[in-house]
Amino acid sequence: MSLYIFYISNFLLLLCLTASLMQSSKILNNKIFTRPSIIVLASVQLISILLSFLILIYLFLISDFNFDLVYFNSHSEKPLIYKFSGVWGNHEGSMLLWILILVLFNFLFALSKRITERFKDITVAVQSIMIFGFVAFLFFLSNPFALNQNNFFDGIGLNPILQDPLLAIHPPVLYVGYVGFSLVFSLAIAGLITKEVNQQWASIVKPWVFSAWAFLTAGIALGSFWAYYELGWGGYWFWDPVENASLMPWIAATALIHCVLILQKRNVMQSWTIILAILTFSLSLVGTFLVRSGILNSVHTFASDPGRGLFILVFIFFILVFSFSLFAYNSEKINKISSMGLISRGTGIQVNNWLLITILTIVFLGTMYPLATDLLLNKSLTVGPKYYSTTIAPIIILFLFFMFISPRLGWTDTKLYKIIIQLRYLIITSLTITLIISLYFELFNLTEILIIFFSLLLIISSMTASINFNKKNILVRTNLGQNLAHAGFGILMMAVVSNAVYSEERIYNAKVGDNLQLQKYIFSFDKIEQVEESNYNSLKAYFLMKKDGKLIDTFTPEIRFYSNPPTITSEASILHKFFSDIYLVMNVPQDQQSISVRMHIKPFMTILWLGTLMIIFGGIISASIRIGRFDEK
Amino acid sequence: MTSLVKSRLIKFLLSLIIVLIAVLIIIFNLRDNIIYFYGPTELLKNPDKQGQIMRLGGLVSVDSVQNETDSIFYFSITDGDNEIEVKYEGILPNLFAEDKGVVVEGVYMNDGRFIANKVLAKHDENYMPPEVIETLKKSGKWQGE
Repeated sequence: MSLYIFYISNFLLLLCLTASLMQSSKILNNKIFTRPSIIVLASVQLISILLSFLILIYLFLISDFNFDLVYFNSHSEKPLIYKFSGVWGNHEGSMLLWILILVLFNFLFALSKRITERFKDITVAVQSIMIFGFVAFLFFLSNPFALNQNNFFDGIGLNPILQDPLLAIHPPVLYVGYVGFSLVFSLAIAGLITKEVNQQWASIVKPWVFSAWAFLTAGIALGSFWAYYELGWGGYWFWDPVENASLMPWIAATALIHCVLILQKRNVMQSWTIILAILTFSLSLVGTFLVRSGILNSVHTFASDPGRGLFILVFIFFILVFSFSLFAYNSEKINKISSMGLISRGTGIQVNNWLLITILTIVFLGTMYPLATDLLLNKSLTVGPKYYSTTIAPIIILFLFFMFISPRLGWTDTKLYKIIIQLRYLIITSLTITLIISLYFELFNLTEILIIFFSLLLIISSMTASINFNKKNILVRTNLGQNLAHAGFGILMMAVVSNAVYSEERIYNAKVGDNLQLQKYIFSFDKIEQVEESNYNSLKAYFLMKKDGKLIDTFTPEIRFYSNPPTITSEASILHKFFSDIYLVMNVPQDQQSISVRMHIKPFMTILWLGTLMIIFGGIISASIRIGRFDEK
Repeated sequence: MTSLVKSRLIKFLLSLIIVLIAVLIIIFNLRDNIIYFYGPTELLKNPDKQGQIMRLGGLVSVDSVQNETDSIFYFSITDGDNEIEVKYEGILPNLFAEDKGVVVEGVYMNDGRFIANKVLAKHDENYMPPEVIETLKKSGKWQGE
């Protein structure tokens, strides 16, 4: 049985390789061969990969340990959902998922209408070259359907820290984001080849780039949320290389979506938009490479086979060389001379593009520097998180200012003082609120005050801009996506700063019966008990949280002991309130009498996630509106 | 100058200044926030490193863990040749154990003791930090493959 599955699935991969090869040949504009239409080939690509992915899911669900991948990453006693998510909780499976999304985007684009045939052919061909490369990589270097000769009775299991419902959806969402930029890259290459990077090109690209961006944002947010409650350190962002690897394409993509909008509206910045499209996709690949290569140490690292890392590295190298040569050759032909006013919306967006590239450079240097010294000087070092926060904070102030002012400016030269007079009430309101906040909460750090002030300006400005009445007092349609995302970003920044300033932490050793204090709350250590679950044993502590003698909530931090593979995890117990989270983690008892418990007050966490959600929905709305309303007044 | 050339010139100069300032800030900040990693032998050979924030890694020496109060711990980190005594106040991670790999972050004091403010948590029982493997290989005590 297993042998049949082995042959069928490998046949499917080869089928996809063949279809992709035929599809790729369409980059050449010759009519000598007759080839099936792109839609037929795209369907073959999609169906073959979809079937092999379903087969892999089936193998995990029935726990067929004749397959190496299942043996190393699954266990028969694992709950069903984690057998399912275990499919992409490993190198080979996640590569197959990556390819599945690649062919899905290819298929969806092949379906799209109102695009010239030649442009569509080239885009799909470029996309198929990448599909060919990745399927070949999967087939030869990391085949998920490799059989073993032994009859294993049971599998080794999935890392328990990955056994979490959020982590079942985090990788697919993140991948849709990463891989979505592959299509944007293909569109950029097609634009370079046909020399048509213009307003029409921007309209074609817009829905794809916005949806990829929204998914990437959601993917990063899910990962961050998972780290917050699963790692038990009380933080949501650690400037860990793996997190940075996903942040870098996000920063480039944020610059890109704004350039696509300017291009659509004003037909300027063609070259820069193309560069950003190439950069974003390359960084998505770098993200995959860094995370999967085994260079970084983290729960994300599946394989430490140098051949695999080398493949992605070579792949990135070819993409960069190919696309930049094409760019150098054709860039003169895509640029149109047109101008924008100096004090205009376009300039504001350009300035923020520069600021984003600066932030990208900061993150890139901080992430790569330790790798470089390790490789070249054989010296291990880390870059402290303070590097990122102190370097990025001043840039964020400027960034928030331009985010606030740019949408208020026109596309042609605008008088700045007129705008400021127009916005005087807004500025005064924000200034007053900032003053009240800083006095009431005794906040005297200039950087923090400025971030809060400009965030407030941005939030209020975006919110008032989204409610717009025309002369007849009828609510007109405004750019909801943009305003929602911008207000969300302001809220996020305010929450990040306030959270950093007002977080509190207490560590206690506690015995049953102890009363522990955290601000105005008393935590009574009620009892501790052992619980047996299907795939782990757990030690569960019960803390009763009281305020003024009244019981408010019960906290149950846990330590879980997994046996397949043997691992211990701490599960935090969190009370989410609107203005602050209360967060309890406990650790393995040092002696039999007491346990260590760490208590955090984490202000504005709910608001922080809310801001993130607004950004994601802003992206989704912008992606779903076909014709840009960037300038609708 | 035409207004187009003028506006381009201003934009160019503006971006140049931004880039210069940014690069300077980045470099200075990066230099200030680098945390080096050392093994015990390496650290003992370089007494000039005293007073700096750094990471120290190796194996937790057998029978070295003591606690003074509920949350102050003493233990030694060894690479087989040399060991350094570490003082740590806080919660030890779940997988902290004698004869297992550990990485601590803190300051190497001039009395030869290491005051740690972080013991880096690891999640897998068999996981050995690569720096520790490197350290053990240097002292010839590495048992793995």
